[in-house]
Amino acid sequence: MAFNFNWSPLMADTSAARIMLTTALNKSPKPPIIVDDIIVTELNLGSTPPELEILEVGDLAEDRFRGIFKMSYTGDAFLTLKTRVQANPLNTYLSTKPSFASPQPLAAASGLTIPLQITLSDIRLSGFVILVFSRQKGLTLVFRNDPLESLKVSSTFDSIPFVRDYLQKEIEGQLRVLFMEDLPAILHRLSLRLWSPEYAEMDDERMEQEAKDTTVPIDPLASPPQDAVDAFGNPLDEEQLSAFALDPSSETHASFSQKNLIRLAALTESHHTLSLFTPAMRETVFRAWAGACERSDQSGAATPSLTQSSLSRIQSSFGSNKSETPSLASGSTGNETMSSRPGLQSFNSTQSGLGMGSRSRTTRKKKTRVVNLRKDKNADEDAPSVGTDDSAPPSITVSDIASIPEDHEEDLATPPRSPVKPLRFESQHATLDVGEPVELPEQPADPTPTATAPLLSPFKTPRGSGRSNAMTTPSTPPTPTQERPKIGRSSTSRPPQSHIRQMSGSTRLLRSLSLDKMPFPTPSSSSSPSRHPLSPAESGSGGILEQAWMTKMANEIARRVQDEKDKESRGEQRGARKLEGMWEAGDVEAPPAYEA
Amino acid sequence: MLGFMDYVQNAFAESTDWNRDNSYGTLNATAQALLDFDTPRGLRLNLSSLAAPNFATSYSLGSVGVVDGSVSYLYSSVPLQTSAKSCDIDLHRVIRGYRHLKELRRPDDDAWWELWHGGKRIDRKKTLLYGRILVPHSTLEALYLRRLSPTRQLRISCVSDSSLNNGGTILGLLQNDHGKYSTEYMYSTDSALMGVRGLYNFGIDPRVEPTIPSGQETAEPVQGRFSAGAELYYGILNKSGGISTGLRFTTLPHHTGFPYTMTLTLNPLMGNLSSTYAVKAGQNLALCTRFDFNFYSYESDLQVGCELWRKRRNPEVEWAVKKLRPDWDTLTPKPDDDVAGVLKARVDQNWKIGVLWEGRVKELLFTLGASLDLKRREQIFRAVGVELQYSS
Repeated sequence: MAFNFNWSPLMADTSAARIMLTTALNKSPKPPIIVDDIIVTELNLGSTPPELEILEVGDLAEDRFRGIFKMSYTGDAFLTLKTRVQANPLNTYLSTKPSFASPQPLAAASGLTIPLQITLSDIRLSGFVILVFSRQKGLTLVFRNDPLESLKVSSTFDSIPFVRDYLQKEIEGQLRVLFMEDLPAILHRLSLRLWSPEYAEMDDERMEQEAKDTTVPIDPLASPPQDAVDAFGNPLDEEQLSAFALDPSSETHASFSQKNLIRLAALTESHHTLSLFTPAMRETVFRAWAGACERSDQSGAATPSLTQSSLSRIQSSFGSNKSETPSLASGSTGNETMSSRPGLQSFNSTQSGLGMGSRSRTTRKKKTRVVNLRKDKNADEDAPSVGTDDSAPPSITVSDIASIPEDHEEDLATPPRSPVKPLRFESQHATLDVGEPVELPEQPADPTPTATAPLLSPFKTPRGSGRSNAMTTPSTPPTPTQERPKIGRSSTSRPPQSHIRQMSGSTRLLRSLSLDKMPFPTPSSSSSPSRHPLSPAESGSGGILEQAWMTKMANEIARRVQDEKDKESRGEQRGARKLEGMWEAGDVEAPPAYEA
Repeated sequence: MLGFMDYVQNAFAESTDWNRDNSYGTLNATAQALLDFDTPRGLRLNLSSLAAPNFATSYSLGSVGVVDGSVSYLYSSVPLQTSAKSCDIDLHRVIRGYRHLKELRRPDDDAWWELWHGGKRIDRKKTLLYGRILVPHSTLEALYLRRLSPTRQLRISCVSDSSLNNGGTILGLLQNDHGKYSTEYMYSTDSALMGVRGLYNFGIDPRVEPTIPSGQETAEPVQGRFSAGAELYYGILNKSGGISTGLRFTTLPHHTGFPYTMTLTLNPLMGNLSSTYAVKAGQNLALCTRFDFNFYSYESDLQVGCELWRKRRNPEVEWAVKKLRPDWDTLTPKPDDDVAGVLKARVDQNWKIGVLWEGRVKELLFTLGASLDLKRREQIFRAVGVELQYSS
């Protein structure tokens, strides 16, 4: 695996970057000594590219990338700014002081503004960079720490030490803000501009793929809806949608197409009345058609509040039954590639989908029962979707796991819920390393999914398993050989599963309760319910949350890297016996979604 | 418009015979009043009371997006006999406008202030204490004012605010006013700023008794006064300083023509030259211009302002006065009974306009103001505000 960074084109045209830098520099409140706008007159990225050391690659595909770099830069880039400064120190000094205790000079504080040219050179950067790229949502770059090490500020005031020191201090402060806050935003906008023409094409392409996919085209979860509304019916704009997309686990929750909502509402209405009219919905399974075991659960067709979540679930699961061919799963991020889907699993998922549809107040009692069943600490993320699942135990098992991939995927970004210990499953066929959240380059032989992955992958629905593979073993594409053992295990590794369930029962209860607050359950086929409590806020202020989430993610990754290093230095043996340790650890720690 | 507490402090200065105008800091007070007035923002209510002659309280509540307020108390060792009711405060005393400078008076002799009783001195130094807390920001302002002697006053003002360096700042100001000249020395704890200010009045020395030979006709009354002053500041910690000099010529009440004031200030370090010319063009109108020029950066600025007093007509008797006694000057029992309000306006070369309308409605003093920027078409109104004051 090799990356080819092309530095020279970046040097060619910096006019757009200049304009954006100008706006960014003028955004934050300026120190009183600067009395005019700061204008970037020259920007040269230099001929020396920054040195990047790949620490971690979390996700890799043709159209997306996620990784952590260690960056150090000692190049010859320079930046020339022009502004006007207040040359009278008394004026600057008094402007920040309260007037009550000010000497109030008559004219000694009168201003003298001087044009100033500042050249920033000898920039030394060193820091950890988290880079997330996907064609749809562009490039997101976050500095984990303050990258600015040193910098040389030369200005017209170099001969006056007081002013020079002041400028150096102020500019360093501004640059730190720039690196930590403004630069990510600038890059994101630039990348969006770069990819936006292709965005539409990508959309069409994906729609075609979805036609063959498990998810039917009208599935609101599959494609970003044209007229999306959040859980409260407020329209969502593009950024908010992409905010969902940034976090694949929450990519689709709480965003629906209004058209679909109307259709589903009509369907629901038809259950309220004796009307024989049923809106024609393509590729859907109605509860009435489902098997006897599903019908036995009272909350299905009996409850009027047949929700979108259940319906969409049915849709998708039915689709998966129908089409066994691997295809792109398609969240709005579009970064899950489906690999092979065994028919057996898709059948299970159908059941689970039906079971999950039963969320309603009338089934509160059942819910608690389900809570007990779902002890898997890793599965708790999707508890809301399954919280009311009261179908037969086997189907529950499947449904449990069906939605785990999101959890797992999120795990890449969110803190490991257990102290990162290498854990391995002794499955019949393959050992899956649990404790290693991310594959390290130096251990290519060991497919190391995140902590949760191996547990769940055996039970995954086709959709889930495909995803987890794509996510957890970025360096090794999912192969049939990997799939097979998992399928085998789905029947054999029940004991650990039940063990898991006992662990996280309490958290699941919490989760299902929090779900109750939602106006209606969100489709859960690919959304992680753990995000549900957040979703109202996210729909309101996706950007802020996204940012907060990114920072948190950054910290966690750094911590994980640290942990890993420690681990390596200790030379710990990872083995199957660690399994029990993980369960215990998982019992203690809260799920990351609640920490966040 | 002056705040209530400023009004009370002015009353204290008057009752202690302190001439606030005889200071370099107030050299161009007229131009500042006509050109640099503050336009209120949002809504502000002031409720004040001079509960006892020695004690005043004031509460203020403002709303500019967020609600803020302040509570202030003032104690004066001198009983303040001035009326503090908002219904009969003289508007001329609470509205800063064209300043008529008075004849310099001879400072009191120290001995005149002494009070002896039973062989002991019982007089106390006149003192004013003032404190104000601004509520949401937790900023505390305090003022200690003491007349040390008839020619000397000590003023210590403090601000405590967590956002400031060292949590606050203290400014000590020692003022000496000898009539003929005045000096001020100051020290601020913030960056250890030290300052000296001085003002010298040319012309006759008020301290010297005019020796008029008997038999000669009385001396020609002085019509104007020429003053020169300078200030010097130096911050010890940040090793920076400031300097300025200024000249002023102003007419005195004996002047027969219309009153006017001219000032010229120069900051030689920063190359800033500022000249103002203010004229009281009529009983109700004052005009002022200011021209700033910097001979280092060649920047210039021009400001024009005016102050227009609106007389209150008494429609019931006006017609009669007009008909019977057209040459009557309106004689009213109270000095501002005939004044309905004052309009102040200023405009500068960048078409930034400030408008202020101050007056009295019923028992409330109000200030209505707006600042406009004609260059920014999309948002012409920069700030609009109303301020209401009630005091008893």
